[in-house]
Amino acid sequence: MQTYPTRPQAAPLALNVPLEQQLRERTAELEAARAELVDFAYSISHDLRAPLRSIVGFAKVIEEDYADRVDAEGRDALHRVRAAARKMAEQLDDMLKLSRVSRSELTREPVDLGDLAREIATELEAAAPRPGVVFDIAPGLVGWGDRRLLALLLQNLLGNAWKFTSAHASARIEIGVTSAAGEPAYFVRDDGAGFDMADARRLFNPFQRLHGTAEFPGTGIGLAIVRRIVQRHGGRVWAEGALEKGATFYFTLPGARIETQAPVREAALT
Amino acid sequence: MKNGSILLVEDNPDDEKLTLRALKKNNIANPVKVARDGQEALDYLFDDNQPLPAVVLLDLRLPKVSGLEVLKRMRADPVRKLVPVVILTSSKEESDLTNGYALGTNSYIRKPVDFEQFSETVRHLGMYWLVLNEAPPVGALEKA
Repeated sequence: MQTYPTRPQAAPLALNVPLEQQLRERTAELEAARAELVDFAYSISHDLRAPLRSIVGFAKVIEEDYADRVDAEGRDALHRVRAAARKMAEQLDDMLKLSRVSRSELTREPVDLGDLAREIATELEAAAPRPGVVFDIAPGLVGWGDRRLLALLLQNLLGNAWKFTSAHASARIEIGVTSAAGEPAYFVRDDGAGFDMADARRLFNPFQRLHGTAEFPGTGIGLAIVRRIVQRHGGRVWAEGALEKGATFYFTLPGARIETQAPVREAALT
Repeated sequence: MKNGSILLVEDNPDDEKLTLRALKKNNIANPVKVARDGQEALDYLFDDNQPLPAVVLLDLRLPKVSGLEVLKRMRADPVRKLVPVVILTSSKEESDLTNGYALGTNSYIRKPVDFEQFSETVRHLGMYWLVLNEAPPVGALEKA
């Protein structure tokens, strides 16, 4: 029977060192560990591209230069080698995107989420017009956070809504704000493919997909990115849905609203 | 097709082989000189007995002297600063892009993983820099 190594237990806090100092040290350790993980994710996704290129390239060399000695089975095998390498490259790129969210500096300011949503909707419609889709964007949607990251968050949520309603001729994509546990909760709602609530917890894990790529394309990094962005803002993100009855994604952005004019900068995780 | 040579600065032997293959497949028969690290590249570029290339395909991650440093030294020289440089790298990092352009690269291409795409990319580069593009005047490329 396979046994797994237990996680190292953290040493208990000593009683004769002031609590505040221990907390500071522990926090510093945690931040250092996180930074290391982020750097690791970055360099791994970056450095693995070259050997992948070799795999794809030389599989092609065999296919092309030895065509007379490779039968249909062999060609099939080589195609699969290349397809697998390409998929891995895609996933590495996604890991890079995710690690960039953690590495970037965070600037907090009031952000007009409605404006961002309108821009994104326009882009989606321009790329692949779908006259049956209606965007319902609530007025006065302002959030406190980093403009670039919030744009990325909305791109992912609205992009998903767009994608998962693509099987229907007409669709409604809503973005607004409601209240949850006494704080404002923004939401993006669609009436498309939806998901089984039993899978709700898996949704935000990287590369977790509830649908096959034949149904809806993608490697499953979008919601992991959304979660990371919300976490960096100190908020919560969760989802509700039902199969073929659409999905709603909620997120909170805690923090003071328009107190000062100047944006507040936060250092990156290095 | 014009006769300019290509200087390929690439430390990865697989990438070197695949790039040369892509050039050949696309009937780009111009002579290719390969430098396997930044120092070799500089030694070649600043060797007065060697003709200057029509284009430099420059990788960024190189041993000894980095790609950006090679670019910097080229642009600091009144003759080498005219040679077209195409950064050809795995990196898509904003800092590399910014630094590359700030130091005066003519172009920045991210190496695709897929060989078909890679071959297409090399074909485009060859067509553009060796055929379409007007190289700096020969007189200016003569070393003093």
